[in-house]
Amino acid sequence: MQPVGVTLTTMMDWQGQKLAEHLMQLMLVCFAVVAFIAGYVLGSFQTMFLIYTAGVVLTSLVTVPNWPFFNRHPLKWLDPSEAEKHPKPQPANSGPKKKASKK
Amino acid sequence: MVCKGFSRCDLISYLTKCLFLFILALSSGMIVASALIIWKMLMCVTGSESPVVVVLSGSMEPGFKRGDILFLHMSRDPIRAGEIVVYNIDGRDIPIVHRVIQVHERKDTGEVDILTKGDNNDEDDISFYAPGQRWLQRHHIMGRAVGFLPYVGWATIIMSENPLIKYILTGALGLLVIA
Amino acid sequence: MHSFLYRANALLTFSITILALMCAMASVSDNFNSPSPTSEVQVLNINWFQKKPDGDDEVSLTLNISANLQSLFTWNTKQVFVFLAAEYKTPKNALNQVSLWDGIIPSKEHAKFGIHITNKYRFIDQGSNLRGKDFNLTLHWHVMPKTGKMFADKIVMSGYRLPKAYR
Repeated sequence: MQPVGVTLTTMMDWQGQKLAEHLMQLMLVCFAVVAFIAGYVLGSFQTMFLIYTAGVVLTSLVTVPNWPFFNRHPLKWLDPSEAEKHPKPQPANSGPKKKASKK
Repeated sequence: MVCKGFSRCDLISYLTKCLFLFILALSSGMIVASALIIWKMLMCVTGSESPVVVVLSGSMEPGFKRGDILFLHMSRDPIRAGEIVVYNIDGRDIPIVHRVIQVHERKDTGEVDILTKGDNNDEDDISFYAPGQRWLQRHHIMGRAVGFLPYVGWATIIMSENPLIKYILTGALGLLVIA
Repeated sequence: MHSFLYRANALLTFSITILALMCAMASVSDNFNSPSPTSEVQVLNINWFQKKPDGDDEVSLTLNISANLQSLFTWNTKQVFVFLAAEYKTPKNALNQVSLWDGIIPSKEHAKFGIHITNKYRFIDQGSNLRGKDFNLTLHWHVMPKTGKMFADKIVMSGYRLPKAYR
């Protein structure tokens, strides 16, 4: 297992991004509903606001940083030695330039 | 083969850069235009020149504090005592948000004389009106306050009192468009 | 690719949109409240009644105002602004409203009150029409919410009359 610091600086994989986005939306909506009902029943606007703010903070801690569980299907980047086997086409004609590696 | 001199490759990359800048200008223009459209539509819907105002002074505390936002609506209904109105004095450009405490409505013309006062002030607003003016008329009123959101207007106050922050924010927004 | 900043931005925008929705819903929930306020006003004394040098009538009253506005308060209420206005007709004006007293009720506990005061604001007419005038005393209130739409309503109490001669 790589140390947490290293994994936090790498990007998420596609599955992880989808998970993070869905999780964020779900958590925020759930917290909003809970906060509203709690505030309404208890008759306190402050309660609603505090519960919701706590929910926002929690959601941001869970979904925004690159936790390892978002990177369970890591992408296979092309090895640098592989790139040399597939040289870039020369811009001799007016065809579009082809990039051999992804962004 | 590598291109030499000014050839088709250079032209293409030059045109591409021009296109990119054009699209950039267009998208910035679209952001500004859509903000303007929304503002003008709000003006139509609420019938007021200024559909949303920020409370600038503490004269309506504890109800409205500095930094709160008020939603205005101007209907043809007669103005009655107790309504919170936003009015402009001829010659002053800052609108004032206060409550109507006296109404005198003419029988024949339907014209109305209005006296206002801030909830937190001891005196009525006579001292704010133009010299010699005792009453407000309907044409001074920009709108009635019908709704309210707390704290949201602080961004506007900070930006108008510290122009530096406004420039920083505008610069940051510009960077976001490019990036 | 989504980056850290992108997710932070998306989260911030979404959470603020939801907050705005919650405030709107809180405002809508106020509509389900059906208030039943009561009030009673007595004019205890006409302190003085005269014509000012500029020609307008002025009268000073001592009033006893009692009311129960507790049913107006909901979880989304910040304060209730209440004021008492004298309303009357004159030959020139179809309606005159002059606020005599106002107060701010910050919470439900303070919403049941009875006070004994002289008019806080001067009761001055536009002209000299107040002798023998019948007028209504209307208790108006404006419910100011923590967020959202403001409500206003009133109770009209009629049957008051000013004396026929100056005092």
